[in-house]
Amino acid sequence: MQLFAIFWRKQTVILERTLNRLIINGEVDISALNGKTIGFSLQDLPLDVHFICTNDRVFVLSVTDKLTDVNVKLTPTVFIYLLHGKDLTELLIQDKISIHGDVKTAQLLVDLLKEVDIDLEEMTSKYTGDTIANQLVKLTKKFNLTDIQSNNPLEIIKNWMSTFVNQSN
Amino acid sequence: MKNTTHFGFKQVATNDKQSLVRDVFNSVASKYDLMNDVLSFGAHRLWKRYTIASSNVKAGDKVLDIAGGTGDLAIEFREKAGDNGQVILSDINAAMLNEGRKNLTNKGVFGVAFVQLNAQYLPFDNNTFDCVSIAFGLRNVTDKDQALTEMYRILKPGGCLLILEFSTTDSAFLKKIYDFYSFNIMPIIGGIIADDEASYQYLAESIRKHPDQETLKYMVLDAGFDFCEYHNLSGGIVALHKGIKV
Repeated sequence: MQLFAIFWRKQTVILERTLNRLIINGEVDISALNGKTIGFSLQDLPLDVHFICTNDRVFVLSVTDKLTDVNVKLTPTVFIYLLHGKDLTELLIQDKISIHGDVKTAQLLVDLLKEVDIDLEEMTSKYTGDTIANQLVKLTKKFNLTDIQSNNPLEIIKNWMSTFVNQSN
Repeated sequence: MKNTTHFGFKQVATNDKQSLVRDVFNSVASKYDLMNDVLSFGAHRLWKRYTIASSNVKAGDKVLDIAGGTGDLAIEFREKAGDNGQVILSDINAAMLNEGRKNLTNKGVFGVAFVQLNAQYLPFDNNTFDCVSIAFGLRNVTDKDQALTEMYRILKPGGCLLILEFSTTDSAFLKKIYDFYSFNIMPIIGGIIADDEASYQYLAESIRKHPDQETLKYMVLDAGFDFCEYHNLSGGIVALHKGIKV
């Protein structure tokens, strides 16, 4: 689990870089989020992610001792649903997500995240080398496809690990 | 300020530490890059690359690299900040700064300003920089709290501080190997390559005296930063702290 948390921390760096690249290229406008801090807590997994927004950049942290303006609690599955375009309000009505704070701010951030199209392999390879990056991205894709219907995060990790072991062999 | 402070494992007068550290770096300046490559097996380049990746410096940004030495980070920051940005390579030690100047010139990097300064008294206006970095320098600063407060002061709101520094590994196995390597092998290599065993003994000792990850994180927050997060690198042998001023 600790390894998973370390891996996640590295992914926040990639997410931060990607978001800021979009901002620099003028593909997204974050002025409405200026000064806002938004936290996503992925239930049952050590995968919190906090977005600190300023007028021209976003910081993405995996740990913070401070309370954020908006806190969104959801399962990893619902988080993936959101990134794939599922409507936030609909998920709220279905009780699949809980938001403490301004829903509008959360919606703005979710809209921003939908714009992210990370070339995970290219970015990860800079830190891990091509072979490991390729394996990780394969696993991530597998995770997305096979586990998207599952609501049990332990099951997701179990599947993910067994896939990893099988592929390593 | 206290009357005494540590210099490696020795307790020295606070006023003397600066000159003792200066002597260390005067002695190793010309072999600094080579020694970094040899002692870290090249890993310092990966740690610095990770730091640059975490900086999110963009075109037009103003960046101050403190204790920048031979200019590894400044070169990368210069590329990111571009012609409309400003990068200042600073160091308290004139010999190190000269090495930095030579290195940048040899690599054809121009447009970086060089300033000799003490991190505890930064000669810049409030809210000047988008990013301030200090790599493998904070542990040599006499009053770290004052230096961090200064770094906070000169950062713009929305700016970030990056501290890359040796830290504490929580793996008992790695710690044993690392302790043996740093106290028994590193000084010997320092003696062979840089003809200075004592400075590399100091390096090993100063790393052990440096605050661990959590302690440094709270020092950064106490200096005024709104957020601070650290990422362990190489099992915690090195950590990158990122402080954010909102």
